[in-house]
Amino acid sequence: MSPALFCKLTTVPGGESLRESSCVRPQKYVLAPEHRTHLVQCLHEDRGTSVEPKSLELEKVTSSLQDMGFDEAHVNSLLSLQPSVHPQQLLDIISEFLLLGLHPEPVFVAVTKSPQLLKLSTMQMKRRSSYLRKLGLGEGKLKRVLHGCPEVFTMRQRDIDNVVKVLKEKCLFTVQQITELLHRCPGVFQEDPSELEYKFQYAYFRMGLKHLDIVRSDFFQYSVTKIKQRHMYLERLGRYQTPDKKGQTQIPNPLLKDILRVSEEEFLARTACSSAEEFGVFKKLLDREEEESKSHASEEEEEEEEEEEEEEEEEEEELL
Amino acid sequence: MAAPVLRGVRKLLKLVDFTPVPRRHRYKKKWATTEPEFPASRLALQNFDMSYGIQFGDLWPSIRVSLLSEQKYGALVNNFAAWDNVSAKLEQLSAKDFVNEAISRQKLEPESDLSPTPSPDCSPNLRCFTFSRGDVRRFPPARLGSLGLMDYYLMDAASLLPVLALGLQPGDTVLDLCAAPGGKTLALLQTGCCRNLAANDLSTSRIGRLQKVLHSYVPQDIREGNQVRVTSWDGRKWGELEGDTYDRVLVDVPCTTDRHSLHEEENNIFQRSRKKERQMLPMLQVQLLAAGLLATKPGGHVVYSTCSLSHLQNEYVVQGAIELLANQYSIKVQVEDLSHFRKLFMDTFCFFPSCQVGELVIPNLMANFGPMYFCKMHRLP
Repeated sequence: MSPALFCKLTTVPGGESLRESSCVRPQKYVLAPEHRTHLVQCLHEDRGTSVEPKSLELEKVTSSLQDMGFDEAHVNSLLSLQPSVHPQQLLDIISEFLLLGLHPEPVFVAVTKSPQLLKLSTMQMKRRSSYLRKLGLGEGKLKRVLHGCPEVFTMRQRDIDNVVKVLKEKCLFTVQQITELLHRCPGVFQEDPSELEYKFQYAYFRMGLKHLDIVRSDFFQYSVTKIKQRHMYLERLGRYQTPDKKGQTQIPNPLLKDILRVSEEEFLARTACSSAEEFGVFKKLLDREEEESKSHASEEEEEEEEEEEEEEEEEEEELL
Repeated sequence: MAAPVLRGVRKLLKLVDFTPVPRRHRYKKKWATTEPEFPASRLALQNFDMSYGIQFGDLWPSIRVSLLSEQKYGALVNNFAAWDNVSAKLEQLSAKDFVNEAISRQKLEPESDLSPTPSPDCSPNLRCFTFSRGDVRRFPPARLGSLGLMDYYLMDAASLLPVLALGLQPGDTVLDLCAAPGGKTLALLQTGCCRNLAANDLSTSRIGRLQKVLHSYVPQDIREGNQVRVTSWDGRKWGELEGDTYDRVLVDVPCTTDRHSLHEEENNIFQRSRKKERQMLPMLQVQLLAAGLLATKPGGHVVYSTCSLSHLQNEYVVQGAIELLANQYSIKVQVEDLSHFRKLFMDTFCFFPSCQVGELVIPNLMANFGPMYFCKMHRLP
């Protein structure tokens, strides 16, 4: 569409034709920045001459939003989040969210938290929500996912794919488990895939947890540092044992929720039965151990590489 | 499971091994024919969980986590080098001389009227720096100072307590019956009180280490004169060899070296092949302590020490040796009360409150020294 036609639209007093044409607009806003800047230019130009059409458009959008259930304060807040975004586009995106079955309040919270949501096209939104539905994160579950991770709509598909791939192929979670996991800990979407794998391996091999335990305890929402600190403290105290091949331990291990979910005070008082100052010292010592084993591991890798190179050279010599 | 996960397991299991093993000792999978399924350090931990869980009850978890975490060191200042400079340098690191602090406290506190004898004096001239409670900083490695001698010796600060408790006085003849690898021997020399010091250990290789320590810390004229004699004989024979000879005797016996056994695989006494040897330890310890007592002059003093938490290697041995001397030799030995001594060092070390005889430093994350058991005895004149 030519910029000239576009500018003409802004001077048309009739609201309806404005709405009709505007429905086509939003894609162009995202895909063609030059059109957007042109819009801003036109608006600036018009400011002096015809204030009415712009405020009329705003009025239309405002009343639509209010019809959807947003109160006046929320509406004003929404409209000021991303000034570069056309109010009509904002309305379209909000409408999409509501079409997904979300209520105004959670939508308001999500959009306020991540204003870049407003820059999406309805096409992108539909594509993403369809994908999420395929993952099992449809209507009812979407609210929590959106709340925990609004970026789930703006993220690159490739990044989401990598996360799901790790969960499925490396960690061997079932499809249902993956759905439940992502529903409970939407933050997983944004985790680095290799860190995710490491966290899983720590849970499965080091702590002896089963897939179901990992999902139900929201294990992935905790940082690796916190997990290691609390688990290794309990282990060295003698209050946690990694189950043997038969899945047995000599002592009853504390419940996962009593290890990870509780506050540090409660963890120390009830699970570890230890003092804050001892735990503080332990954390410092553990930190240092981790640092040193990391630099140690990379040294070892270098040494092993050198050894392998030497061995290869020897083999070559023998062949000669 | 898919191969990539297995690879990850190996990496994780490496991380489980919390001690960096020296490269030459490291398990090399491509050359080994069998995997070490149950390492001796793990056997040691199982053994400790069983016996110390009962012996220490609720105290055991905090001891256990400390034993499994990095230990704390003290820096014993070398009086034969520029000790005042070294002390100043260590103070700049915000470390404190715990011996000096304890002695200052002793001077401030008036002695109880109830004690029949004056509280025993600590061996003099010992300066040992540690970082404060909860401070996990490490000392820089010791360096050669002027005079070609090392500036300080890094050791478990609790190891100094048996030497302090022995209460050397100027001109004493001293015997260190199980001296290797030489930390306590060095401390004995630092007091400046030894008219003669006899340092002995059955193991020639470990005596070699002791020689190296003396070489790095002690001036030649002291090492090579008549003052210091180093031997590698069987300590159990000392009653016959040099009976009734020494003013002060230190018997720092071979034991299960609890902390060490949880971390080092090499020569670990908890290896299945050494089970018999381990079970015979208390008997060996009684024999060594008895020999040390026999080598003491009547009226002289002995300190028995181990770095184990076990009743069987500590109080039982003391009581066994005293009984043996009474029954077989009609020699009376009295245990000396060290509770005053313990109070002096309570701020630096964590002591077990319920020893029948002697004192026991238990590891605690706030003061990760020990284990160190010591008991002072007086051979009655």
